[in-house]
Amino acid sequence: MIPLAIDRIYKNYGDKTAVNGLSFEVEQGEIYGLLGANGAGKTTTMRMVLGLIYPDEGSIRYNGQPYGKEQLHNLGYLPEERGLYPKVKVSEQLIYLAQLKGMTKKAAEQSLRRWLEQFEVPEYYDKKVEELSKGNQQKIQFVAAVIHDPQIVILDEAFSGLDPVNVELLKAAVKGLRDSGKTILFSTHRMEHVEELCRNITIMHRSNPVVQGDIKTIKSRYPRERVMLAASRDITGLEQLEGVRYVTKHENVTEIGIASEQAAQHILTHALGQAEIERFELMRPTLNEIFIKSVGDRHE
Amino acid sequence: MSNFWTVVAFTFRNKVRKKSFVITTLIIAVLLSVIVNLPYIISQFSSNTPDRIGYAGAATTIAGSDVLPGDIGSGLEAYFKKQEKPGYEFVRVAGADSADEGANARALNEALENGDIDAYVVFASAGETEFFPKMELRAKKQYGDSAVAELQAALQSVKLERALQSLGLTDEQQQMLFAPAQVSSVQIDLNDGQAQQEDEKQSKGAMYGVVYAILFLLFMTIMTTGQLIATEITAEKSSRVMEVLVTSVSPLTQMFGKIIGMLLVGLLQIAVYVVVVAINISMPNSDNALKDLGINMADVPLSLYIYALLFYLIGYFLYATLYAGVGSLVSRTEELGQAVMPLMFISLGGFYIGIFGLNAPDSSFVTVTSFIPFFTPYIMFLRIGMVEPPFWQIVVSLVALLATTLAAGWLSAKIYRTGVLMYGKRPSLKELRKAMKAFKL
Repeated sequence: MIPLAIDRIYKNYGDKTAVNGLSFEVEQGEIYGLLGANGAGKTTTMRMVLGLIYPDEGSIRYNGQPYGKEQLHNLGYLPEERGLYPKVKVSEQLIYLAQLKGMTKKAAEQSLRRWLEQFEVPEYYDKKVEELSKGNQQKIQFVAAVIHDPQIVILDEAFSGLDPVNVELLKAAVKGLRDSGKTILFSTHRMEHVEELCRNITIMHRSNPVVQGDIKTIKSRYPRERVMLAASRDITGLEQLEGVRYVTKHENVTEIGIASEQAAQHILTHALGQAEIERFELMRPTLNEIFIKSVGDRHE
Repeated sequence: MSNFWTVVAFTFRNKVRKKSFVITTLIIAVLLSVIVNLPYIISQFSSNTPDRIGYAGAATTIAGSDVLPGDIGSGLEAYFKKQEKPGYEFVRVAGADSADEGANARALNEALENGDIDAYVVFASAGETEFFPKMELRAKKQYGDSAVAELQAALQSVKLERALQSLGLTDEQQQMLFAPAQVSSVQIDLNDGQAQQEDEKQSKGAMYGVVYAILFLLFMTIMTTGQLIATEITAEKSSRVMEVLVTSVSPLTQMFGKIIGMLLVGLLQIAVYVVVVAINISMPNSDNALKDLGINMADVPLSLYIYALLFYLIGYFLYATLYAGVGSLVSRTEELGQAVMPLMFISLGGFYIGIFGLNAPDSSFVTVTSFIPFFTPYIMFLRIGMVEPPFWQIVVSLVALLATTLAAGWLSAKIYRTGVLMYGKRPSLKELRKAMKAFKL
């Protein structure tokens, strides 16, 4: 049974369309990436998955079941904007939230201590949230989303505003959740996180899903049209070669845009004639480029 | 259900442990103690000995009058001596009975200066047509209007006596003339056309005081707890805890959990106040002081307290749900004050009509407003305390109040469900309706 299946959902706010026919499925032990510019409909989608609002059309199924009250305990949510009581102790509010999710007080306490231990901040148990730094508040927020061991975890911009050390720490926690068989819906602007974490993605643009599928397939659909070249000395005359669209010299490497993959071979032979080659790579487009392409092309 | 109590407990615990709550409660408790003991404190501070007022016993006459000032002085002295609790004592100042007016004035001033007397009076002609001289009270302090009125009454009496003497009436005839006519007001209960007299006077004062106090308590706690609910909800929204909360517990459970939690906070506060007041009243000193004011707590019927609790509970729910609804619409705490303004005015209006109604409890204005649900908790309670309205009127107003409360609860729940997820500027009614439709509510 698929833990989370979304089938052609539509949502309109008055005459404005927020989500237009979105479908995807998330397996157990999978992190699904939901990408899109601001206002693309990510948050609305997540809210529908959370059961806060209902889709106008289409269905969302949890283990084959439609939304019901019992799903409240099954879902964990990390909102895009941080939400904790600033003046209440970490232990008090997290145990409160866990109790609302159906945990006993004792189990919640244990779970909280375990998570704080994992984030190497056990001393925050008795601190007020307002006394913590932003990065540490984010850790607490993350714990709030997963303290009750939900099957489905929804992370909205989990890593925004964090320093690299904390990003790695949280990333490891997310991977840990994935490996323990959770179903994770993940949204972000940062493509490198997506490439590292997600198997399948949807790129949304103005309420529409524009690119969908697993990352490898998506990438293979885009032709390799870039060559990275580094040689012992400068290579001249690259611009004159057939199929070369542009040449950009970076500090240690030259980037060459090509019209077709055959052009790469011409570049290689041309370069070998002039110098020793240190690096020659035919690049797939990065997810970032695919994102900008799929979103940017439709900007007008 | 367990979620509901979790919310109740969390709300209650967090509020009660807040420093601001503890401090406010303590301050009000101290204030209440002071107010209850005020009559006693005042009586302790004011000396019981009446002011001594001196007069010159000289036999000098005043132009245009055949009345001797010394005689008036002794007349006043006799007048106050006859009283049970005289406010003043008139004394003839030694050394002020010579024929020399300058020496008299000096003697009076001296007596005043070394504290033998608190004030003295001198007399002067009141005009050509007036046979009686006018009196002037001289003292280092300023006497208030009531003192002047009392002295005026005394002087009037002396003057009357003087005038009557010339008519040659017997003492009996004079007494008949002076005996005051009497009026008293009696509240009666009508049962099957039979009038039943109630214990008067004493319980009236107690009623007035108790109704006033409860009215004030109703107003204060409903206003402050209502405000607190709205503030908490807006704070949860602005700190975005709301987003996590709504995914954990249904908005209805959350809203009513909060309202009940805050009700318990309010009840706790009231209980503290009641205990503080009760302890203070049971102290022998303040009991006597209150009795002097004609207030006897035992005269207040138990049913009045039960009605007070009933109206408090329903009134609380009416206002609390509305405050919750309003609070859920506002995203920033700074905007909340403006948003709850209409609710505050309604509440304030009810309270002020109540204060007005204390003095005119059977006016038709008060009767009519007691049926307006938003005012019922204040006004109908006041009428029950002061004029005993027919039972059917109480029932009708209660039914209307309950119906309105349920409607307000239903509407607020709907608004709340929608409002907690709406951010940005406060939505207009139209936007709200649209959002409700979009959220399928």
